[in-house]
Amino acid sequence: MIKVTYVAQDGTATTIEAEEGTSVMQAAVSNDLDGIVGECGGSMMCATCHCYVDEAWAERTGERSSDEEEMLEGAADEVTERSRLSCQIRLQPGLDGLVVHLPEEQL
Amino acid sequence: MALAPLDESITLDQLSSDPYPIYRRLRAESPVLRVAATGRTLLTKAALTKAVKENPELFSSDDPHTPMKPAFRAHTLMRKDGQAHFVERKAISKALTPKMIKTDWGPLYEQLAEEYVARLPRGETVDLFSELCGPLAARILAHILGIPEANDEQMQRWSQVLIDGAGNFGWKPELFAASDAANDEMDALFAALEPKRRAEPDGSAYSVMLNADDPIPMSQIYSNIKIAIGGGINEPRDALATIVYGLLTNPDQLAEVRAQEAWDKAFEEGIRWVAPIQVSSRRALEDTELGGCDILKGDTVMTVQASANRDEEIYEDGENFFVFRDKNPHQAFGNGPHHCAGAHVARRTVGKIILPMLFDRFPNMTLPDPEAVIWKGFGFRGPINLPVVLN
Repeated sequence: MIKVTYVAQDGTATTIEAEEGTSVMQAAVSNDLDGIVGECGGSMMCATCHCYVDEAWAERTGERSSDEEEMLEGAADEVTERSRLSCQIRLQPGLDGLVVHLPEEQL
Repeated sequence: MALAPLDESITLDQLSSDPYPIYRRLRAESPVLRVAATGRTLLTKAALTKAVKENPELFSSDDPHTPMKPAFRAHTLMRKDGQAHFVERKAISKALTPKMIKTDWGPLYEQLAEEYVARLPRGETVDLFSELCGPLAARILAHILGIPEANDEQMQRWSQVLIDGAGNFGWKPELFAASDAANDEMDALFAALEPKRRAEPDGSAYSVMLNADDPIPMSQIYSNIKIAIGGGINEPRDALATIVYGLLTNPDQLAEVRAQEAWDKAFEEGIRWVAPIQVSSRRALEDTELGGCDILKGDTVMTVQASANRDEEIYEDGENFFVFRDKNPHQAFGNGPHHCAGAHVARRTVGKIILPMLFDRFPNMTLPDPEAVIWKGFGFRGPINLPVVLN
């Protein structure tokens, strides 16, 4: 199992354990976490699973694809260089302990 | 295992007039059921409908014999899978992102809503459905799409004709004759507007698609706009009418929505309670299994999101309109790659602009006779009238 911590705008941190191969979006949604909507189920069609990867983890989560980049452009909240669609980050052992920050709004 | 049980008693008339008691029974007794009248296997539990929509490799949207083809004179993105769908979807979705809607278009939508709400007469009984919900949805959509030169009557007529044609499973020639005539009108308008939308990019869907670096073919640009016309008026119209009904028949909730300015919650609850698009179809590409029943390759399953949205496993008292639910993971916008491209537009226009404005302008709006409201529809559903007194 791999641990991910989601930090909301008010600072509340929630840590979830999920199986390898699960996406950061799926881990959140299947644990009913507020702040990640993930309406399209990971098809890169809705931009409602936006997150900011913590600076310390930025290099390990990889690059965003051009499709992801385009979809992110439409996200509801500010998009920064650390913005990712959490459906596109797959959990693997190297990401155990990953920290992501949640935007103010997804819709 | 065995095939799903076969039902020969449920009729299309029953499903159109009031499907909810039927769905409630099916969720309890047979959540996977072949319903003879529909020629489909109905799935009525939330876990099943979601699983099917999120597995496009197994459950295809592509229907080679869909009446949508003649109705739209095109094989549209609604009925495509994988990369073919993705490319066309991406081309139009750039015009429909939350950011675009909020920052670029928000002020225009406000202004349009102001105009349409302002012309409603005070102190009289008004059919809000025909006087506001339909025309305003049409006007906003015409702007989003980049065809504001089309009037409200045209937009609404084209939309209905396309929908009727797309649902023409009986292959009646008169319905395709009507959609042909509408296609001619739309094609002529699109062609006339093309030079301007190219020369003066304006962020509308047509302009965005025409001016893309690597544009999709013109035929697909046309069919994308037509899909948005067919699929972008009834839904916000029916959503608005449903939510207004829900709030006016639950005055205590309306008071609380006002106090908390929880219009977005009211929006989500309205479309959960009566989803404007109630069902969708998917075709099995392999033999498989759903809810303990065999599904054979080639079978068409129907995901009933209307029923999933009231599933007892997710919702307490799902049959009733209740804005202040803890969680509302409804499937009214669908799931998976075909998740509604207009979701953000609908949330912004109906939930954040029109609803608060309407109740602000007419704080004492009433629905004197809720029994007079007629609800209708199996595929698409909502009130078909909404006689309110505006004050």
